[in-house]
Amino acid sequence: MTETLTGIDMSVRAPEDRFRARKVSTEVEARPLSAALPPPGRLNPAARKAYYFYLMAPAIALLAFISLYPFFWLIVMAFQKGDMGAVEWVGFKNFIDLASDDRFLSGWVLLFRYSAMCLFLQVSIGVLLAVVVNGSRYERFLVTALLMPMMMAPAVAGLLWLFLYNGTFGWYHWIFHSLGLLGSGSILSSAKTAMYAIVLVDVWQWTPLITLIALAGLKRVPRDQIEANMVDGASPFRNFFAIVLPNLYPVLLIAVLLRFMDNFRFIDHILVLTGGGPANATKILPVYLFEVAFKFFDLGRGAAIALVLLVVTIILGKILVGVFDRPTAGGR
Amino acid sequence: MATVTIRNVWKYYGQTPAVKDLNVTCPDGSFVSILGPSGCGKSSTMRMIAGLEHISAGDILFDNQRINDLAPKDRDVAMVFENYALYPHKTVFENIANPLRLRGTADATIKERVTGAARLLEIAHLLERRPHELSGGQKQRVAIGRAIVREPKLFLFDEPIAHLDAKLRAHMRGEIKHLQRNLGTTMIYVTHDQLEALSMADFIAVMHDGELQQWGTPSEIFNKPVNAWVAGFVGEPAMNFLTCDLKRRGDDVVLSHHNFDIPLLPGQVRQLNGAAQAGIARMGVRPDAMTVSMTKPSEAAIQGEIFVNELLGGDMLVEVQLADSRIRVKTTPEFEGKPGEICYLTVNRDKWHVFDAGDGHAYF
Repeated sequence: MTETLTGIDMSVRAPEDRFRARKVSTEVEARPLSAALPPPGRLNPAARKAYYFYLMAPAIALLAFISLYPFFWLIVMAFQKGDMGAVEWVGFKNFIDLASDDRFLSGWVLLFRYSAMCLFLQVSIGVLLAVVVNGSRYERFLVTALLMPMMMAPAVAGLLWLFLYNGTFGWYHWIFHSLGLLGSGSILSSAKTAMYAIVLVDVWQWTPLITLIALAGLKRVPRDQIEANMVDGASPFRNFFAIVLPNLYPVLLIAVLLRFMDNFRFIDHILVLTGGGPANATKILPVYLFEVAFKFFDLGRGAAIALVLLVVTIILGKILVGVFDRPTAGGR
Repeated sequence: MATVTIRNVWKYYGQTPAVKDLNVTCPDGSFVSILGPSGCGKSSTMRMIAGLEHISAGDILFDNQRINDLAPKDRDVAMVFENYALYPHKTVFENIANPLRLRGTADATIKERVTGAARLLEIAHLLERRPHELSGGQKQRVAIGRAIVREPKLFLFDEPIAHLDAKLRAHMRGEIKHLQRNLGTTMIYVTHDQLEALSMADFIAVMHDGELQQWGTPSEIFNKPVNAWVAGFVGEPAMNFLTCDLKRRGDDVVLSHHNFDIPLLPGQVRQLNGAAQAGIARMGVRPDAMTVSMTKPSEAAIQGEIFVNELLGGDMLVEVQLADSRIRVKTTPEFEGKPGEICYLTVNRDKWHVFDAGDGHAYF
């Protein structure tokens, strides 16, 4: 590009160069492959659609190979009694069995409790942090510092907290024990506290993401609306709820959507910390799914759980978008 | 209703002064316009009055009560912003009701006041809409509605009609002035448009470079500018300036230019007060304080060459070349001079001005 431009510039300056440039352009015979197709501007709508399809075809093919093919296999597997060897069609039996599977049902309850706690804490703390960081003199430094937990692999974070929670030398264990907040057991070995422990790890690791997103949102809250509301008679506190928060809704939607789907998928730190125990107290559905599919190798049943989980995730995501996307919450 | 006193107010942004030692008193119930080009400190001044900007030095008083340290919500002012600043997630009704809601007014009163304000501004049919469904003019009315729905001590209007089209702007000028007269509330109106200030305000504060240039009624500002900058900023088409020599000739003082020698009126000689009786000065004359003709009307007429004619509908503007400078004269569309022809200018000496060549202050 730059060279072409330089060529043109020179041709303007010196007439000899202009002739040379023309000669070159007539001699070029090899045109790019895409030139075989007419440019879309001259096509009727139907032909234009086909043109766009050709352009996207390679990407679609790749996507189909790495994503769609396994997905269809998942559906097929859900209707089979599958361990590693023999394959047998069982129809809806896998799904029907799930209805009477206590672990499956309690997995749902635990998953919702876990996700609700994580989302509530992450959004409220995340927005609060964003407000504190926003406009601070040390904003750049604070943002960098906040990012650090996010940079850590979830399994590593799990290990880190495993040490902090450890019943023998764990720092948090020592603190809580000294404060008398903990009985004789360790944090992770008590069914009462294990769930809060894994929630805390998720909050620690992913609240910064919400803070980052909320910070970006805060930057676009129109200053004049805040000022108008101040002159109208609002205190800073009311100003936040009346102007700042409604303007944050669209970005918070994205944050909540991301985090809620992650909660349904990321179980690295749970596997490291508790593996679903003690006494299934932290066996949220994805952990159970992992256990069924890759510990018991009941792949058909695992596929059925995965499929149900997927459908519920999609439905919840849709509902979430619907709730937040009302015109009341929109921008200008 | 309040008298607003601005006493020795300074505003600094870092090391840069935006407002320098401002002293203004806006009488109770008056319509005061702060006029100046962008960056002259007029918006900073208004924002300091509203409480949105810290006052670096000096005091602002409402009715002799110092309000420097009051939060915006406690100052009892209502403000209309340049880009309206409506709340997009609220209906027009709720936008207008917002100041009342924040003060915990009863629902019935709110309904009554909002519909009353909406009827006054002719937006009663829009109350259920949201801001993004409104046109610029309608948004601006909603913003005004939000200001007038309660009875504040003071209205602050920050270029509220700058973004409307010319026709609507002319219409809204009349409406805002009428509204202020009816409500009787003190109003401070910031604008860069001298026509808005002249046509609406009781008093105008002209600012330039953070300093107050002149305070006065519109006719004082227009007819008796205190310096060349005010004279050049106010009035459209702008005032003509010519650098001339002041020469004493017997008892007279003569304004002398390459193309003319015109004596000052006796009163004007006294106003010169001995200063600059010899030396250079800047003569200023508005385009409508001169007449142009193709025949020589008198010996004192100034000879020039027509440079170009501009027809402005009801008027014609003739640009005349005088030696190395050009001046513009307003005349009627019937004027038949053609570019390149010789014409003659007669100056109305009651309406001309002489400014100091150095600091630009006006002798008269």
